[in-house]
Amino acid sequence: MASDVDRTPLVGRADLVATMRAALFDSVAPGNTAAVFLTGESGVGKTRLLREVGEQLGDRGALVLTGSCLDIGDASPLHPLRQALRRLDADLAPAAAASIRSLLAVFAEDPTGPDGAGALLERVSRGLSVIAGGRPVVLVLDDLQWVDRTTRQLLLYLLAGLGDLQLSVLAAVRSESLQGAHPLRRVLTELRRLRSVRVLDLAPLDRADAERLAAAVVGRPLDAEAAERLWQRSGGNPFVVEELSRDLRDGRYGLSDTLREVFLARVDALPRAAHRVVHAVAAGVEPVEHWLLARVVELPEQDLLDAVRAAVAHRLLAGSHDGYRLRHRLVAEVLEDELLPAERAVLHRRYAEALTSAPGELHQARLAHHWRLAGEPQRALPAAVAAAEEAERLYGYAEAHRHWSVAVELAEGLPGTDRAALLGHAAEAAHHCGEYARALTLLEELADTGQPVCELYIRRARYLAAAGRSALAEAEYQRALDAADCTPGQRATAAARLAELLLHLGRYADAGRRAREALALAEQVEGATTEVVLASAALGFSEAFLEDPDAGLAVLRRALETAERAGRPEDVALAYLHLAELLTGPLNILEEGVVVARRGAERVAELGLGRSYATRLLAIATNGLFRVGQWAEAEKVVAAALRHRPSGTDAVELLLARCRLSVGYGDIEAADRDLDAVATMLAGGGARHVIPLLTLRAGLAMWQGRHDVARHAVQRGLTETRSDDLVILAVLVWHGLRAEAEAKASRSVAVDDNAVRRLREITERVAGRSERAARPVRDVVDGYLALCAAEVSRLDGADPELWARAAAEWDHRNHPYPAAYSRLRQAEALLAGRRRTATAGKLLRQAYQMTQALGAVPLTDEIRTLAGRARVTLEDRSPAATPAVEGGEELAALTAREREVLAAVAEGLTNREIGQRLFISERTIGVHVSHIFDKLQVRTRVQASAIFLRSRG
Amino acid sequence: MSEPPWGPVHRDIVDLLADHPADVPAVVDHLTKLQDMLVRLPPLLDSCPLADFNKLYLVITSTVLDGLYADRFVDPVFLSRLDVEFAARYFDALRLWSDQSPSTPKAWACLFERMRGPDARPLPSAAAGVNAHINFDLPFALVTTFDHLESEPVDGSDQHRDYLEINKIFAEKIPSLRRGYLERWQLLIDMLNGDIDDWYQGELIGYTRDVAWRNAQRIWRCRHDPHRHERERRRLDETSAALGRLLLSPLGAFLQ
Repeated sequence: MASDVDRTPLVGRADLVATMRAALFDSVAPGNTAAVFLTGESGVGKTRLLREVGEQLGDRGALVLTGSCLDIGDASPLHPLRQALRRLDADLAPAAAASIRSLLAVFAEDPTGPDGAGALLERVSRGLSVIAGGRPVVLVLDDLQWVDRTTRQLLLYLLAGLGDLQLSVLAAVRSESLQGAHPLRRVLTELRRLRSVRVLDLAPLDRADAERLAAAVVGRPLDAEAAERLWQRSGGNPFVVEELSRDLRDGRYGLSDTLREVFLARVDALPRAAHRVVHAVAAGVEPVEHWLLARVVELPEQDLLDAVRAAVAHRLLAGSHDGYRLRHRLVAEVLEDELLPAERAVLHRRYAEALTSAPGELHQARLAHHWRLAGEPQRALPAAVAAAEEAERLYGYAEAHRHWSVAVELAEGLPGTDRAALLGHAAEAAHHCGEYARALTLLEELADTGQPVCELYIRRARYLAAAGRSALAEAEYQRALDAADCTPGQRATAAARLAELLLHLGRYADAGRRAREALALAEQVEGATTEVVLASAALGFSEAFLEDPDAGLAVLRRALETAERAGRPEDVALAYLHLAELLTGPLNILEEGVVVARRGAERVAELGLGRSYATRLLAIATNGLFRVGQWAEAEKVVAAALRHRPSGTDAVELLLARCRLSVGYGDIEAADRDLDAVATMLAGGGARHVIPLLTLRAGLAMWQGRHDVARHAVQRGLTETRSDDLVILAVLVWHGLRAEAEAKASRSVAVDDNAVRRLREITERVAGRSERAARPVRDVVDGYLALCAAEVSRLDGADPELWARAAAEWDHRNHPYPAAYSRLRQAEALLAGRRRTATAGKLLRQAYQMTQALGAVPLTDEIRTLAGRARVTLEDRSPAATPAVEGGEELAALTAREREVLAAVAEGLTNREIGQRLFISERTIGVHVSHIFDKLQVRTRVQASAIFLRSRG
Repeated sequence: MSEPPWGPVHRDIVDLLADHPADVPAVVDHLTKLQDMLVRLPPLLDSCPLADFNKLYLVITSTVLDGLYADRFVDPVFLSRLDVEFAARYFDALRLWSDQSPSTPKAWACLFERMRGPDARPLPSAAAGVNAHINFDLPFALVTTFDHLESEPVDGSDQHRDYLEINKIFAEKIPSLRRGYLERWQLLIDMLNGDIDDWYQGELIGYTRDVAWRNAQRIWRCRHDPHRHERERRRLDETSAALGRLLLSPLGAFLQ
């Protein structure tokens, strides 16, 4: 159905369209993703722009998918994507449509495996990639303020590049919604910092453009008085401009001053049948399909078409190929007061009946909605239950929770319903979507129905633990253990979970005691392998922290055996995971930990858990390999892991691991890409990974000489870290102090004394707390504290001894990267003091060998530079090609040393600074400088510098 | 052409607001720069009513930042996210006002309007800013933060304790607001009828911040329902604006 809205020209937006097209398509490199979020008040023309840009990109060969999010609370998960696919399906030839059908079928299938949500994302992205057939995909989403959580996760997954799809997202967000507490606010705050994302605010038209638009609608320029009134009333909002101008053109001007009055007048002027049509659409879920509307209004075909045409002509209704919707929210408001409640109920019943007789894909939510409003709870209930199950299948727990809650309400007073089952489902869905308080309330109601108490205690404890309310959770587990009606199996579960909780709280002795209790209980129960694994992990870690690593290790090895014997894949996977974590974590037995992790990954993949557990194990292996200095191997492992197409936390950990390698290699582009991908994923939540992200950003910035950026990243990290995260804090503080020391050394950025003071205070606090921490923690923290102390010495006079200590710490822990770094700095400090140059040379050669073996390019470069300045030969044989003499004829007379001094003079350094850099005395520099003046026949440093710069062309 | 909302410093302020600070150090930096611009607004140096609020807010946020560095809070992730989200709403209001957008929250508009008007007294101006920021912005900032961190506003939680810790900072930094002022404010509220009375529901409040926490819990429960949520937003905006106008009226002088 064509509506004349399409014929109105797009005024005043040409630049914006070009910007959007460039950001989404023209300047997107192959394989990259991009996004534009368009915010603006309603009526400002977002939808129009979306269509315009979408069409242009389609003309350029992109596959454009268009959908909008729904504002009814009963929308089902992934609605906008499914809508977009159906629209595309309708447009395509049957052959091409097959791939779309098969993707749509994915949504109706039952989930498989424990990593169902991730698997769904992956299958959707693979399906999209088949449909795209190599073309770039543009996803155009309107009314994003109503987006569901599953769609949101999908967008972030695809934008992070994890779907291996060249995708651009163009989405419109109503800015009024962002003024409240909308989750998109945080998402946009995080995303707008990325280079690939633009958040554009769409402003109203300025006066000239508003008049141009009005003139285009009216067909002639407006007189001054009319133009002034139009401007006053519309404030430049294009929708209002257009509607008011239309009234002006049709001679209705002046009757209605506000948009509301405009619509009221139009509703009044409608023919009777058209009246019925707009009321029916208002009661429906938009878009209302033509067949459905026909069933609801019960008009003869031609009458219906005439009525629809009249409503469209009065600009109350908009039609498109998938159905009808009201032109504006105000239309619904105007209509609302006109219908009697009974009339509205009748409309809903007709909708429900029509939908029942023509079952479609995912119609249950709509059906429940209409039956409920028709006042028929007994018919609404089964639909609500079906809708909840549908939502759960697509991991839309928020939607599922809402449907289950509706079901609970509907069941009230209906005979023969299992209210307890509904409450149980509602509580579980609430727990999954983070509505912890609501989940607990529902459990209370469930308790009133006379359920066995033991199960309820365990569930309540689980919900409380998830909500971070540990003390209450602990008490609840204790109640379960004390309850008379608990089976031995339930007791084992409660004890094992309690042990795990205590371990996370750092109460190792209590955790160990509970874990032993759980193991004893689990032994008496057939098939309690999960409990054995859980309790063994708690026991293993608590022993390790309580300084009996061998005992801890033995427990977990036994647990792995038990799991293998019992054969449940998840138990085997968890046992491997805990064992590898224990070895590479608190025990620092890295090589063995890496072997366990890699063997575990293979085994787990055999068991069919490749995507979830194998990637987690491979992330552990990668980090272990990084630390022992086998970077090339680490690179292979992380690439293999990413081929499993992980999502969520697993993907984030792997990307961070790969980024750590890229920072070490000095591959700035790759590191940046991974950091952006991680930031995209974290925009949807995941505070735990923010600190590693910031640490890597700081490390990368230092290689780029952007020490102020590094400082900023560290400062953000320090203000978002808990004081009991000692290791994380220690790493951050070291990065912060290093950034200041590098700033001082490079003289490109001023040292921030305030920041240094803070960093030193925090160092002291960490040192104090570390003394009281468990030994494995203390060991790691000490390594970083040694680095911190040494960096501080770089700020106020270099102390080689402190660097020697740091090198020893990291040698002892078997981490070559920080050990090589410490040697470099030790050598630098020795040379600066012009002491023991032989030792310095030896240290530099050691460091050089280490970094060469790692492939750590930027660190190797620093070593080379220092060695060059100190005239230390790093390799036994001199390089094959002798470097050409730098500079032209004029400098030919100078010795190599004099040329170095001259280069420093040209940088504007004083003799003293040059002496510090080249490790020779200030006096010697003076001698060099006078020789240079003689040879070049100049009298000032400026003249000498000029010759130097000229000679370099 | 009429004069832009920020007069001679309009360009500077618009440029500053184009950036969206994402952590607490950046927020402090932003407020500091803003303060330098606001005091340059005519008619006289240091005469801008908004500067009175901004200065107070800067002092409080700097103290929060020091607290974050000094390990003052139990859950710094929560508190720093809240601080950033909270500030973002002030900056949003300023941005909307710069665009002369009709959707500038009324709670803020009543203070912004005073920038050209007759001289407002510093304390009521600062109080009107505090009112808009706490009564209107804070509940929404709390809900957004909890939602992002997949947590909930629960009384007695670590987050609640940290939240209350901020009250101490307010108390330290606004001695003049602390007692006399709030008591008189309460008195004013008691003198009013209708909406505001309902809003306080006769609760005895020490600080409006407690009201903000309660309101956050209330919004939390309807955050998935766009219509109810929007109604709640309008209600808070209207009420805060009414209080703000009152504070800036001649009656506000009574508080000084």
